[in-house]
Amino acid sequence: MTTCGMNSGISKGIVTAVLLLWCLFLSPFLLHAEEQGEYIAIRKQGGGKIALVLDRASAKGGKESEWAKELDKTVKDGLIFSNLFSILPPPSNVRAGSDGKMGGVNFGALSSVGAEVYAGGAVSKKGGKVNLDMEVYDTFGTKLLLKKSYSGKEDQLRSMGHAFCADLIELLTGKKSYFGSKIVFVSNKSGSKEVYQCDFDGQGVQQITSLRSISLTPVLSPDGRYLAYTSYTSGRPTLYIKNLADNKISSVAKNGVSVDPSWRNGSEVATTLSFEGDQEIYLVRPDGGITRRLTNSKGIDVSPTFSADGRQMAFVSSRNGLPQIFIQDMQSGLTRRLTYSGRYNTQPSWSPSGNKIAYTTWEKTGEINIFVINADGSGLKRLTSGARENESPSWSPDGSMIVFTSNRQGGKKLYVMSSNGENQRRLLQVDGDQMQPSWSLFR
Amino acid sequence: MFIPGMLFLGACCCQEDVVVAPEVIAPPSVELGDIFFDYDKSELRAEATQQLQKNFDWMKQNVTGTLIVEGHCDERGTNEYNMALGERRANAAKDYMVNIGADPARMQAVSFGEERPFALGHDEASWAQNRRAHFVGQGGAAPAAAPAPEAK
Repeated sequence: MTTCGMNSGISKGIVTAVLLLWCLFLSPFLLHAEEQGEYIAIRKQGGGKIALVLDRASAKGGKESEWAKELDKTVKDGLIFSNLFSILPPPSNVRAGSDGKMGGVNFGALSSVGAEVYAGGAVSKKGGKVNLDMEVYDTFGTKLLLKKSYSGKEDQLRSMGHAFCADLIELLTGKKSYFGSKIVFVSNKSGSKEVYQCDFDGQGVQQITSLRSISLTPVLSPDGRYLAYTSYTSGRPTLYIKNLADNKISSVAKNGVSVDPSWRNGSEVATTLSFEGDQEIYLVRPDGGITRRLTNSKGIDVSPTFSADGRQMAFVSSRNGLPQIFIQDMQSGLTRRLTYSGRYNTQPSWSPSGNKIAYTTWEKTGEINIFVINADGSGLKRLTSGARENESPSWSPDGSMIVFTSNRQGGKKLYVMSSNGENQRRLLQVDGDQMQPSWSLFR
Repeated sequence: MFIPGMLFLGACCCQEDVVVAPEVIAPPSVELGDIFFDYDKSELRAEATQQLQKNFDWMKQNVTGTLIVEGHCDERGTNEYNMALGERRANAAKDYMVNIGADPARMQAVSFGEERPFALGHDEASWAQNRRAHFVGQGGAAPAAAPAPEAK
């Protein structure tokens, strides 16, 4: 829990002292670092939320007030989505002036409601464009942390608001966020399984393929230029790599199955092929040519996923019987078993921000649940439970969230949760079943 | 216009039937049939080999016909793993038929994973029917093969 939510009425000095003690003796929740003039709040895993007063953007009226209202909503929704903040309503006297101009910030009023951070701004029209001037203050240090202007056309309010959200979160956590990221997924909404994409928050759903076949396991390249997916357009499951700029498509021209691609270092795709008889994992170039074979075991090897540096690959293998997750060192080829708990473990997804791997266990109860484990096998934690089948975990590019499929409310739908399993909620409202989400690495 | 055309077509077909039918009926017709698998297994069950022999007989009767061997899984487990498992089932069926003399060039194994269930229930009775290799005959003077079940 946040200390600051309980601080009403306590003097600023005591709060600072408490925070300082916490920083020194316990896992720090907030850490003030004077690094290149930046303020960084380092949140411990599972720590409390940052108490933020998000003020309404001031505007002169008319169009500007409409823009301000939309920007306020975008910023607020974006920050709520992050689950990093406890957003407090602004005290009535937080700004001295309220006539479209920003007055001084009333830090006393902010402290009295327990705010740690204050963000507010003004919207105006400049040179035919929308202009958003934002300021962010540390309310304890009464210090300006960020002052930045965002400019764009009328139809770019959403990306302007998200640019501010991204700056604020990077300022406070030291991590780049995900406000420019996309999630690709499969839906049978049209009657056949096609690939779709949406923004990080489930907005802006677009259909990408119209193949009227079965299209599966889409994944975007780290730079967003290519989409790799498996489709049955040729009559059998074939890997396709589509250049999204010119719509050119290459495929792997080999017999047998080709399923579940994953990008490695942005330059190549790992996928399961079976043209040599057994289902093995190979590296493939974006032009469809095969670079090399990675696995060599009797039985199924499938679902590769790579550490951020590309040096290690987690994958599913049935070499010992039922499927379990293994890790292979890409240079030495040495392979070790990662999962020993649960008899059926599949769908590994390596966090882009560290050594955690999310995966699914088919449990004795019949539930399928998402677990997370460190790459060294320690720190096993169940993230879902008591909610039927939860599958296909995929990390947000900053590693703070996981998108997944669940049939907890009937049909298969997409959900998101924090990386510790908290705050599980529906991502989007689309007809039909949605499945196999994959969150982009670009952000 | 329409009805006389239909009648004409019908007349044609009847005529052809009368001429061709005796030749088709001559050999006892062999039906293609599915084989079934245990949970998470791609090894053939004992009774499966009898059906595979019949499916091979179909190939012998339909010398220009080809077979698509579809590998299927039940809905349990995860899709990606089941894509691989379905292929192993299709290959197990195909390999057995090749071993008893079938021409591999006339057979193609395709995995559908859990994408095309036959039975739509969520119980072992349905799952057992869905863990299967399904055979689709194409070409040749074939008795019409059962069409692949539609995806739900």
